[in-house]
Amino acid sequence: MKKLLLGTTAIGLLALSPLANANTTIELQRFFGACEAEYGKATDVSAAVGECGIITTLVNKFAAENPDINVKVSTVEWPGYDQLNAQLASRSAPDVVSMHYSAMSDYQSRGLLVPLDKLLKDQSIKATDFTDAAITSVTKEGKIYALPFDNWTMLFHVNNNLMKKAGLMKADGNPILPTNRDELFSQGKQFKDATGKPYLVQVLANETATYARIFYTLMMQQNSKFFDDPSHIDLSGQDAKAALTFMKDIVDQGLSTKNLDYPAAVSAFSNGDGGIAVNGTWLIGSYDAQSKESNNALSNGYSVFPVPQFFKQKDVTYTDGHGWVVPRGDRSDEKMAAIGKLFKFFYDNNYEWSRTGHLPTVKKVIASNEFKSLPHRSDIAKIAKTGQALPSAVLRQFAIQDIIGEELSSAISGNKSIDDALKTAQYRVNDLLENI
Amino acid sequence: MAESYRRSRWTNGLFVVPYLSVFLTLLVFPLGWGIWLSLNKVDLFGGERFIGLKNYARVLSDPIFGQAVKNTLIFVGVSVPTLVILGLFLALALNKTSKGSSFLRGLFFASSILSVTIVTLIWRIVFIPNDGLMSLIFEFFGWQPIGFLSTTGWSLFSVGVATVWWCIGLPMMLFLAALQQIPKDLYEAAALDNASRWRVLTRITLPSIKSTIMLVAIIQVVMQFQLFGQAQLMTNGGPAGSSRPIVMYIYEVGFLRWDIGLGAAASQILFLIILCAAMLQYWVSTRKEEVDA
Repeated sequence: MKKLLLGTTAIGLLALSPLANANTTIELQRFFGACEAEYGKATDVSAAVGECGIITTLVNKFAAENPDINVKVSTVEWPGYDQLNAQLASRSAPDVVSMHYSAMSDYQSRGLLVPLDKLLKDQSIKATDFTDAAITSVTKEGKIYALPFDNWTMLFHVNNNLMKKAGLMKADGNPILPTNRDELFSQGKQFKDATGKPYLVQVLANETATYARIFYTLMMQQNSKFFDDPSHIDLSGQDAKAALTFMKDIVDQGLSTKNLDYPAAVSAFSNGDGGIAVNGTWLIGSYDAQSKESNNALSNGYSVFPVPQFFKQKDVTYTDGHGWVVPRGDRSDEKMAAIGKLFKFFYDNNYEWSRTGHLPTVKKVIASNEFKSLPHRSDIAKIAKTGQALPSAVLRQFAIQDIIGEELSSAISGNKSIDDALKTAQYRVNDLLENI
Repeated sequence: MAESYRRSRWTNGLFVVPYLSVFLTLLVFPLGWGIWLSLNKVDLFGGERFIGLKNYARVLSDPIFGQAVKNTLIFVGVSVPTLVILGLFLALALNKTSKGSSFLRGLFFASSILSVTIVTLIWRIVFIPNDGLMSLIFEFFGWQPIGFLSTTGWSLFSVGVATVWWCIGLPMMLFLAALQQIPKDLYEAAALDNASRWRVLTRITLPSIKSTIMLVAIIQVVMQFQLFGQAQLMTNGGPAGSSRPIVMYIYEVGFLRWDIGLGAAASQILFLIILCAAMLQYWVSTRKEEVDA
């Protein structure tokens, strides 16, 4: 009996021993998808492809290099703010969270984020190390509230093989893309007649974000002041009507896929079911990797360009970005130091993240040869200059995006008139903003 | 001498304390709190300010809420009778002791154990354009494809089909249990009287399981009014809000817009609607019994 007791105590102590090592645990919550089966144990970042592959491998590599820091990752369904809200409300938020720049004001304005100036300074990371667009997006009331990780935008991902079939290729091997609205319709028709497939592959079902992002771009291209007052949207002008009419005409003339949701649209382009995918920077890495394999719809036939300038007033594209924030909570100095180390690691690996297709936020990465030599980057480089976000003082940008997306979708699918949809969108957004 | 067991003592009340404490903390308190929140201007992270019935006025004048109520009523009005009739039909067909019927009972009940995520994934594969099952069938017959998840009218229908498939197990099992309670001698007497199958069904079977039909209907009304997961995952309430149920409106207002006061007001209205629907159903059934008597 005595032996049994001693044995049990010894086993118990052994089981508890890892706790005595004073490991610091960082709870990291992120979107970007789950890919444990493929990358669960991988630490070779350069071999990883796509957002999920690269971020998973990056965290694995950090954990391997820092055995005293345990990073516990929870993956949430995009964008994950419901979970975060519930966690913040119950005071159980994780230590590090991925967040869109467009969502940060909501949390910062309620004191739910920790300023990171000291944490970054301790790691010798300076505000001037980042691009102006990135650092401005994460700076609120003179303090930095996120480690800027990337900037992203919507792009024209082009299937050159189908464009060739439609006679829409230049001699230099680049596709012929529209430079105004009329050209989009004529080229779209030419493409459709030649291939029997839709010119554009758009995400128009079960989705609101894509509608809103393209609409913002078209509004900004008209130099519209629709959010001049951040607490009030103005969609009553001709600019909003022109933007929505253009979006609707594309669908009405059969130049776009209609019923595809996000995953279906991503795979439709990949399978060669349309000429140009209107989708984000994050797909460049995956589509480019596919184009380097043989015997598929994109083999040796993929290129990517910014959304063309359809309105002559201004060359501009709506952009947003991802950052890492630290939600409000009690944390020891050791834990904050560990988070600092993780952020330094992310900062040092900004190039690896930019392989996804996102634009890097660290100036020296943008200037580096290795970034410049990544495929297609020179074709989309101008976004660094033409990218524009909504004013950061506009709160609830995700909820606004949902409302605008839903109303635009109603007009495009013919359930509402264009005037009616814009009027309702304006009423709903302003009702939301007035009641914050 | 032993004390009479009939004598009432206050300590006997202690037996209900565990239940009462759970009932009070998990049901009564949240209900009261919800009503209080609905009278305040409050977001997810505080800022409480009493505003009386303003949230109710906002909800009731919101056309999106009106549309959500209409969608939910249509959904309940179609899905509940379908679940009751189909559940009863399956129970009648499988009320046998053969191995085949036991297997089929298990098969029909199997969908109930799946989570809403799996159910919607399965039905997405059926309804999605291009590679979906329905799309392939339409293509085979050369018909024009239908955007089941992205067309007004069809989107709520598709959510309904997935819901009936998912929820059919419970009504079927409840009806089976009720059918097996009916005394066999009633059927023997009917057989001796040479009663037709229809007469047996309408004069013996259905009257004997009347209370179960009521129970199933009330359970389903309460459940289907709370439609959320299927609509959110399959159609996201679209297109044009045509498949947005009330609970999704509450979720959007509370969690996406952080307007907890408004969400709480909408929740109280949903609570009243469900209560009224269940009471109405109960009243209709008991009134009929009185008339019969």
